[in-house]
Amino acid sequence: MYALSYQRAKSLEDAATLLAAEPEAKLMAGGQTLIPTLKARLAQPSHLVDLARVKELQGIELKGGVLSIGAMTRHFDVMSSPVVQKAIPGLANLASLIGDLQVRNRGTMGGSIANNDPAADYPAGVLAHNTTIVTNRREIAADDYFQGMFATALEEGEIIIRLDWPVPKQSAYSKFEHPASGYAMAGTCIAQLADGSVRVGVTGAGSSGAFRWTEAEEALAKSFSLKSLEGLKIDPENCLADLHAPAEYRAHLVGVMATRALQKML
Amino acid sequence: MRFSVFVLPQPQSVPHLLLEKASNMQPSRREDLRLIQGAGHYTADWNQPGQLYGFVLRSPHAHADIVSLNIEPARAMPGVVRVMTFADTQAAGFKSLVGGVAPNVKGVGDSAMLKPFYPVLADKKVHYVGQAVAYVIAESAAVAQDATEAIEVEYNELPPVVTVEDAVAASAPQLHTEAPGNVAFVYQRGDAAAVEEAFKKAKYTSKIHLESQRLIVNPMEPRACLAVYHKEEDRYTLYSSSQGIVNMRNQVSTVTGIPQAKLEIVAEDVGGSFGIRSTPYPEYMASLLAAKELGRPIKWVGTRTDSFLSDYHGRALELNGEIAIDENGKFLAFRWDDRVDLGGYAGGNGAFIGTNNVTITCGGVYDVPALYARTRLIYTNTTPISAYRGAGRPDIAFAIERLVDQACHDHGFDPVELRRKNFVTPAQMPYKTAIGTNYDCGDFAAVMDDALAQADYAGYAARKAASEKAGKIRGIGFATFLEASGGGNTPSDQTAARFNAKGEVTIYCAAGASGQGHETTFVWLFAKELGVPEKGISYRASDSSMAVVGNGTGGSRTLLGQGSSFKLLAQKVIEKAKPHAAEALGASAGDVTYAEGKFSAGGKSVGLWELAQKLATSASAHPFDCGAEGTFGVTFPNGCHVAEVEFDPITGVAEIAAYAAVDDLGNVMQPTLVLGQVHGGVVQGAGQVFAEHAVYDRESGQFLTGSFMDYTMPRASMVPLAMKWRGHAVPTKSNLLGAKGVGESGCSGSLPALMNAVMNALRPYGVDNMQMPITAAKVWQALQENQGAGAERRAA
Repeated sequence: MYALSYQRAKSLEDAATLLAAEPEAKLMAGGQTLIPTLKARLAQPSHLVDLARVKELQGIELKGGVLSIGAMTRHFDVMSSPVVQKAIPGLANLASLIGDLQVRNRGTMGGSIANNDPAADYPAGVLAHNTTIVTNRREIAADDYFQGMFATALEEGEIIIRLDWPVPKQSAYSKFEHPASGYAMAGTCIAQLADGSVRVGVTGAGSSGAFRWTEAEEALAKSFSLKSLEGLKIDPENCLADLHAPAEYRAHLVGVMATRALQKML
Repeated sequence: MRFSVFVLPQPQSVPHLLLEKASNMQPSRREDLRLIQGAGHYTADWNQPGQLYGFVLRSPHAHADIVSLNIEPARAMPGVVRVMTFADTQAAGFKSLVGGVAPNVKGVGDSAMLKPFYPVLADKKVHYVGQAVAYVIAESAAVAQDATEAIEVEYNELPPVVTVEDAVAASAPQLHTEAPGNVAFVYQRGDAAAVEEAFKKAKYTSKIHLESQRLIVNPMEPRACLAVYHKEEDRYTLYSSSQGIVNMRNQVSTVTGIPQAKLEIVAEDVGGSFGIRSTPYPEYMASLLAAKELGRPIKWVGTRTDSFLSDYHGRALELNGEIAIDENGKFLAFRWDDRVDLGGYAGGNGAFIGTNNVTITCGGVYDVPALYARTRLIYTNTTPISAYRGAGRPDIAFAIERLVDQACHDHGFDPVELRRKNFVTPAQMPYKTAIGTNYDCGDFAAVMDDALAQADYAGYAARKAASEKAGKIRGIGFATFLEASGGGNTPSDQTAARFNAKGEVTIYCAAGASGQGHETTFVWLFAKELGVPEKGISYRASDSSMAVVGNGTGGSRTLLGQGSSFKLLAQKVIEKAKPHAAEALGASAGDVTYAEGKFSAGGKSVGLWELAQKLATSASAHPFDCGAEGTFGVTFPNGCHVAEVEFDPITGVAEIAAYAAVDDLGNVMQPTLVLGQVHGGVVQGAGQVFAEHAVYDRESGQFLTGSFMDYTMPRASMVPLAMKWRGHAVPTKSNLLGAKGVGESGCSGSLPALMNAVMNALRPYGVDNMQMPITAAKVWQALQENQGAGAERRAA
């Protein structure tokens, strides 16, 4: 790790001020990606602004059919919250599949979404649930938020406050773990929203990050059944290929995970 | 503040069996309490006043000329004390790192091994990503690391080769001028003509091409060292994790020129070795040099990245086997043509593995009249290889058993009966193989029958049917294998006993433990031989001041060697004490008998400890102090492991559905520790079969699996829950305990057993051969590609 200054933000405003004060300052949420990146000297921020104590970023609240989850909510808290478990059990289950115990106890929802790792779990959930990302400046729709690997709609100095999850009729996530890292080799989240529409979010497999599988959405909207998924295929052209798996395998896994997610709901 | 860090996993994700076991668990080893309470002394735990910190600048290129190296910007940084390069080690007269075959080992045509100088710090050229180029010493580790980035190195990149295949190609770049065509050595053993003759006569022949892929060894404790120079005495102390201080001291002395008598090696607790810590690494030598020059201790603690890049790698062998069988199913000959990827230089034990170890048991448990093996040792632009749990012996055991199964498949032999027909029988023992190795004892058929019974081999069809009904693909495989243990490069294994003023005894040897539980075993052994409780006996390894020498831990040999020597030591103590007992009892020494801690004569008795206490003085030597030593021969642990694997054809994911093993380890001293070794070895083999693979980019020579993000380690979920094991002892006479060693046999059994099960499962689906690791992606792809062939085969 390169030498840097650590600063603990006292409030959202304080965080914004500290972030703006230094051109090379960076926010730190749970640090589960950032700290290993720093340790490997792959990033060199001059200042770290720790969001752990920022009150505005905490809390889980269910109101008017929307589950609001503070950006600094840890994966463990999402998976074990009775409120989440009751309102969106599929989301609680998704959180329980992230990383390992240590990661779940430090990593946060906001941190994961801000980083937008192409193999992170939450992006699939956000796309499937049509979640709104609420920042200190605006509200961003899920479909506008993800802009390719590690790229998001967030502007310089913008801080995620919370994520507003519209409570669906039902949703489920299924994930095939990368054998080495435990990240998603392919993860598919299916949500049947309150208005009856169906959205399918996919992570891990796409060559430009998380995406919606619209063919599957259309098929499932017509008939919410396993049969609807039969014969549907992701084009391997749009999938990642590396030394662990060819694109064809990831494309195939997206379908398998969709089937497994759907099975949880039927 | 909230503490939510320590949370129990969801109950459904942890088998109840394990939870139950964990709650009943008692520390079963003497070392456990110390280690789990954080009171162990690993290398990074040592500190010295005034110490400086080292950091290594490593090559970012696989193959490049160093055009220029400017250390000035680093040297000018505040806190930087010294920057060392090849020029410094050259000025100090450093020799090449030690590696290669022994000088008396000659290759084809009486050739000597072509062994380029392996510098502590790179000279003019780098040969692999991660090779040490410069060594920065600073007031803090962070400053030292910062300074390495300020060093200006101009490289002229050269085309790299990262596989043996590419290295021996006609168009391959020449890596070392000393080794034309990148071939270091061509070794052969056995009778090529007799084998050729046998193949001419053979009714059946089969062949197989196998790769025992390159692995990262990954001990839990990263490498580290602390080098101290004692000016007044012109003496050095090197704290570093090692498998034994003797070999470490020899090699450090060879490279640096520091006389052995002036070099003390300290290694208390070591967090895993698996073979790569029997020899020193560049940082240790550079630190010793700097410690003397700067008059301050030098500490270096490697990161996990250093482990990945610069710890010797393991395996990296290619095995090509052929078998000749007569019309009655009797084996006539095995022929091996193997290639060893040495890496950028001959370091550690890579060449020894590729010559001796991979050939010494190349007939396995079988009576094979003709054997011939040739191995070619090749340089590539990769990290040099050394020993990794079994060091060539699991590789050849794996290859033999895959070859025998291939012959069964090719010619319709029953795998049980073909093996039974060809075993070396107890009546043939001692048996000299066609390659000249002497097997001392073993009952291979009995071991196999025992294992097959334990595995319910006969009932497999029902399990396969059940798997198929559940949509899974199941396979069964087994391996009857043997390996050589007990080898060593120190003439004898010494032990010593020293009594203190309280009459308590400490026993010593020079083999370093890295998880084996030497402390538990040796104290138990010594106490048992004396017939006393363990109280008052303590154990210390690697204490240079005792001047005890012996082999390092390796080759599954420590129990056989040091253990036997401890048995002798107990007898020595009784001998030493006897005249004193006679005096105390007023009897003549000849009339004194010893049993269970007591000397008796004429109705009177005196306890060993009581006597020891009485005779203890504050003077340094106690009259009972003594040493023992012995030389104990090679023996052959063997076994039969039976594995069942189940594949999910939808994802290609494998599960070890069943595992049963029977091992002839000779006499077992500590069943819990033996079981731990078996489990560890089996799972390490499973890691190679299903997960691990160190991969370099073929074009750039860059290392693609440099962290746990990309390098798959075996997981707890990979451990077969229903793993059955039992011993089937045929005690050896080659040592005093009748033990054969256990450290490596788990790997030697699980590699072939699991792979035979994998192939048994996949052959009906059109897969004729598959190289490890058997990843889900690879299996799925093979099933897709072979759909047609598979359907035909299953129909037939």
